Amino acid sequence: MTTLAGSRRLRLAALLTPVTLLLGSCFLVPLGIMALYSFLTPGLYGGVEWNFYPYNYGRVLGAPLGDVEDFDPVYIEILLRSLRLAGTVVVLTLAVCYPAAFWVSRFHGERKSFVLFLVTLPFFASLIIRVYAWMLILRPTGFLNLVLESAGVIDAPLQIIFTEVSVVAGLVYILLPFMFLPIYASVEKLDPALVQASEDLGATPWQTFRRVVLPLTLPGVIGGSLIVFIPAFGNFVVPALLGGAKVMLVGNIIEQQFLAARNWPFGAALAMLILGTVLVLMLIYVLRIGRGGVAAGAKA
Amino acid sequence: MSIRTAFVVLCCAAATAHAEGKLALYNWGDYINPQILEKFGKEYDVKVSLDTYASNEEMLAKIQAGATGYDVVWPSVHMHDILSKLGLLEKTEPNKLPGFANIDKAALRAKSDPKGEYCVPYAWGTVGIVYNKKKIPQLKSWKDFFDYAAKNPKKVTMLDDMRETLGVGLIMNGKSVNSRNPAEIKAAQDLILKHKPNIGAFTYEVIPLVQSGDMHAAHYFVGAMMYVLEKPDTLAYVIPDEGATMYQEDICVLKSAPNKANAKKFQEFMMRPEVSVLNTIQQKNGTVNTKVPALLPANIRDNVNINPPASVRAKLQIFEDLGADLKVYDRAWTKVKTN
Repeated sequence: MTTLAGSRRLRLAALLTPVTLLLGSCFLVPLGIMALYSFLTPGLYGGVEWNFYPYNYGRVLGAPLGDVEDFDPVYIEILLRSLRLAGTVVVLTLAVCYPAAFWVSRFHGERKSFVLFLVTLPFFASLIIRVYAWMLILRPTGFLNLVLESAGVIDAPLQIIFTEVSVVAGLVYILLPFMFLPIYASVEKLDPALVQASEDLGATPWQTFRRVVLPLTLPGVIGGSLIVFIPAFGNFVVPALLGGAKVMLVGNIIEQQFLAARNWPFGAALAMLILGTVLVLMLIYVLRIGRGGVAAGAKA
Repeated sequence: MSIRTAFVVLCCAAATAHAEGKLALYNWGDYINPQILEKFGKEYDVKVSLDTYASNEEMLAKIQAGATGYDVVWPSVHMHDILSKLGLLEKTEPNKLPGFANIDKAALRAKSDPKGEYCVPYAWGTVGIVYNKKKIPQLKSWKDFFDYAAKNPKKVTMLDDMRETLGVGLIMNGKSVNSRNPAEIKAAQDLILKHKPNIGAFTYEVIPLVQSGDMHAAHYFVGAMMYVLEKPDTLAYVIPDEGATMYQEDICVLKSAPNKANAKKFQEFMMRPEVSVLNTIQQKNGTVNTKVPALLPANIRDNVNINPPASVRAKLQIFEDLGADLKVYDRAWTKVKTN
């Protein structure tokens, strides 16, 4: 017994060590460097000077600072705008993917494999190229306006490109697969017998959905929402190309700090603030919805 | 890396498969005629590779991170000064080579390198306005540009570039684009913000949109002449009456360069008029080589937007390194982009 448990533990350690080392060196160490840099003095030409400099966070959050940095509410505004945009993208991708996942799960055999292949197909082309394609679709003389005009839906071309609408459209398009796949995985696992049982026991379709289907697919919804929210929050390519860089988001301001402004510590501080915001929101989301779902399931 | 760059690297690698030496170039995207790399590789039996960057700061960040394996970089003049200050440049003394006589001494613009002991001036250009002639018959000034935008909102674009776009505000207010005066920079910020509702986008990716008429005019650099000369009935490029910024890049060898001898040969090679002219013909920008104009086709040599007369040149300003004062621009630009 002891030797068996011992060898098991040994095997587990052997299996986990490479992953732990990889995550430790490629994830935690860079994160630690960023956290450290956010408290150092910016170097004149990028990089840092090794002097303690606690003012970056106050510049964003409004703590008393002395004369070194000024508090500017503009950064909070950018953070809130990014949150709102990422939230919109989550809701829209969810609205598209949730019904679609049920639809795809009804297919069988090759047809199902083919649809799943189509979902992952965009990954074969570079993100930048796909975003440029959207510029061609959305511009005034582009494909969308051409179709709408020749169909008589509109008289003059719509100005969609370089607006917030096109930023949202671009992000939704890019992030759809990330919402679809986790939802699909949990819909696949949903046992039809449970749905039938609920109906046999006299539940209305809405009750069946609310008490059986939703709680059981909730892990996929939570997973998908998180995987979509995080990149939507920090993305800077789509706002720059499709939004015409007129709407600044956190990703853009961080890029500006590291490149044009050569202020790495402030960029690092903003990145830490994003990380903190995402962690807090994730915790709230998972606890609230996770618990709500379990409670609803238990009641059923 | 652009498709063109990838092609160059492949073709040169193939042509010089048995090359003795190597040369690693790190340049702006699409900023050198591929024929030059091929020619250099053949002549010196060197395998030439080319990587590209999109901004001075991107290049600086990479070089500062340590030895990169790159030999030659193309900083703008103010970045040439920064690289000098940080001790990242190798003193190759191109000014002692015979070809240096061809270089226009007025092009030795870097304050840190007034004699050309480190870098060779490469090429220069202006940042003005490219516009679609079918939409706007004539456009001469920044005032015309903003007046047009007021009547046709969202049909013009400006560059997504902190100093260039705030620079337009400074120029229109008659100030230096290197102003360190917070009040002047604030006034430039307010000017751009005032026009922002009429500006379609802040972007570099605009030539296809102007060509198709989706956008009617765009703040853009003289590289637009490549497209203007191809479609002279549709496109035009103009240096605005109020003045404009100009840029110049220099060819510098890094202190950490692994192939210094070849890099030095490359600096010398680029000073040859017959090599330099290949670049000017392809890039359609300003030359710094006094022997080149005689070799240029008339449509480039006599084009006032590529080779402006002295009266126009007097109105051009070049960016200087602002050191710590850059932060005033950062804050102003963040406000422009957010409000």
